[in-house]
Amino acid sequence: MLVNNEQILEALWETVYMTGVSFAFSLLIGFPLGILLVVTRRGHLLQNEAIFKVLNIVINIFRSVPFIILMVAIIPLTRLIVGTSIGTSAAIVPLVFYAGPYIARLIENSLLEVDKGVIEAAQAMGASPAQIIFRFLIPEALSSLVLALTIAIVGLIGASAMAGAIGGGGLGDLAITYGYQRFDTLVMVLTVAILVVLVQGVQSFGNILSKRVRRS
Amino acid sequence: MIQFEGVTKTYQSGKQEIHALNGIDLTVETGEIFGVIGFSGAGKSSLIRTVNLLERPTNGRVKIHGKDISTLTSKEIRTTRKDIGMIFQHFNLLNSKTVFHNVAMPLILAKTPKNKIKDQVKNLLDFVGLADQAEKYPDQLSGGQKQRIGIARALATNPSVLLCDEATSALDPQTTQSILDLLRKINREYSITILLITHEMGVIREICDKVAVLEAGKVIEQGSVFDVFTNPQQPTTQRFVRSVMNDELPETLLQQIQNAGSNHSIYRIQFTGTSVGRPLISQISREFSLDLNVLFGNITELQGMPYGNLIVEFIGDRMEIDRALAAIRKSDATVEEVTNHAS
Repeated sequence: MLVNNEQILEALWETVYMTGVSFAFSLLIGFPLGILLVVTRRGHLLQNEAIFKVLNIVINIFRSVPFIILMVAIIPLTRLIVGTSIGTSAAIVPLVFYAGPYIARLIENSLLEVDKGVIEAAQAMGASPAQIIFRFLIPEALSSLVLALTIAIVGLIGASAMAGAIGGGGLGDLAITYGYQRFDTLVMVLTVAILVVLVQGVQSFGNILSKRVRRS
Repeated sequence: MIQFEGVTKTYQSGKQEIHALNGIDLTVETGEIFGVIGFSGAGKSSLIRTVNLLERPTNGRVKIHGKDISTLTSKEIRTTRKDIGMIFQHFNLLNSKTVFHNVAMPLILAKTPKNKIKDQVKNLLDFVGLADQAEKYPDQLSGGQKQRIGIARALATNPSVLLCDEATSALDPQTTQSILDLLRKINREYSITILLITHEMGVIREICDKVAVLEAGKVIEQGSVFDVFTNPQQPTTQRFVRSVMNDELPETLLQQIQNAGSNHSIYRIQFTGTSVGRPLISQISREFSLDLNVLFGNITELQGMPYGNLIVEFIGDRMEIDRALAAIRKSDATVEEVTNHAS
């Protein structure tokens, strides 16, 4: 094997770091956008056709660009934000652009699942739009939201492996540079195995958490 | 008091306009239980939602306690809604929250102090008979229990009006009865005005003081429950009344009697109040030389008053029958001849 344990551990850490930080930022962007996508649609709490349409189109544009192209396309922006276009931190910028709109869609889906009757009941009680969002919509969708975000994290782990292509580091980088380009099958198998365990772990945690928050 | 004045509601569905309400004029007096009945699509649901502005009327006014609510700002609407409780066919409870939290919700929204919420929710749960279920979740309860939670929640802000949107339509007959009893208790103990919509005439008979029949977005008949049940005018109303008090005679029987000759006729005799207790039939048959054959008989209670409905075949001389009818009319019963297609 061409790599030692330390390199693998470091790569694992880079993957976790990239995924974690980009997830945090994506959530910060995606969550409010997801809520906006729900409440501005026709017949909803804060119906606003203009906001809904613009948001809908912009999110679709980002969602339709394949990650590998998105990564290259926004290099100037990445340079502007983190000062470089190479390395783990540089990989986070395209990851956020990739996952933010994705999370917005996932959140939108979960919130739309909430029974319209519950919203109607909230309105009938005299709840304000903010109260309806935070006291009715989100608590009722929480279990589904947790599962949706689990999907987003798993997606980010996968995308972060691709970030290896721009020198982002992480397990994907290791697999490509050693496993693929230097024909080290063992490294390839090992990194894939670690990714499998990682994804399994995240998914199981998500499932348990989702069940737990079903009743709060 | 709730007043509807020329209320219309038009929905735009693609290029088509759907007129859900076509000029509704109704007055619901303070303290009464007012029922609106109609088949599905008649506009009941739109009508009840104009009261708390879940639907805005396209035209016309809805006044609550004399105040036109269509002119209110959204903040004022929210305040007004706290004075109007609402319960729903499918309960619309928060499944992620306990029974306690569900009932407490309107109080939490109103920023009531915690210890006050605790006391109030306890009283409300006591009132609806679910004091021991506070820590359960809605999906652990039966439909009737869920509706009780819905009722407790609706009463949390001490409203003066309660709107019931098909509140018993998802419940079995026995549970329906217990929920209706609870609604009556609320009406009497808190003198809350209740406006309910339903497609079940049984619900109207059971608890309403007044009823309006809605068809194609219009009120086609309205009045006291007693008047509408004993003397329905419109075909739709008659259908609804028949759905709970079916006194239709089999066609073959009618034919048979009609073929039997002119000294056979069928009359419906309606008794109300004290006349229900009188042995009218045996008196008539003793007093006049007539044979009386009871084809149908039923006594129910309408708005706390006994009401009897008897369909009788009179057999005898035409003159004698007429004299007997005059005698019946002199007592406080009403008589009318039943012909084919008896209503």
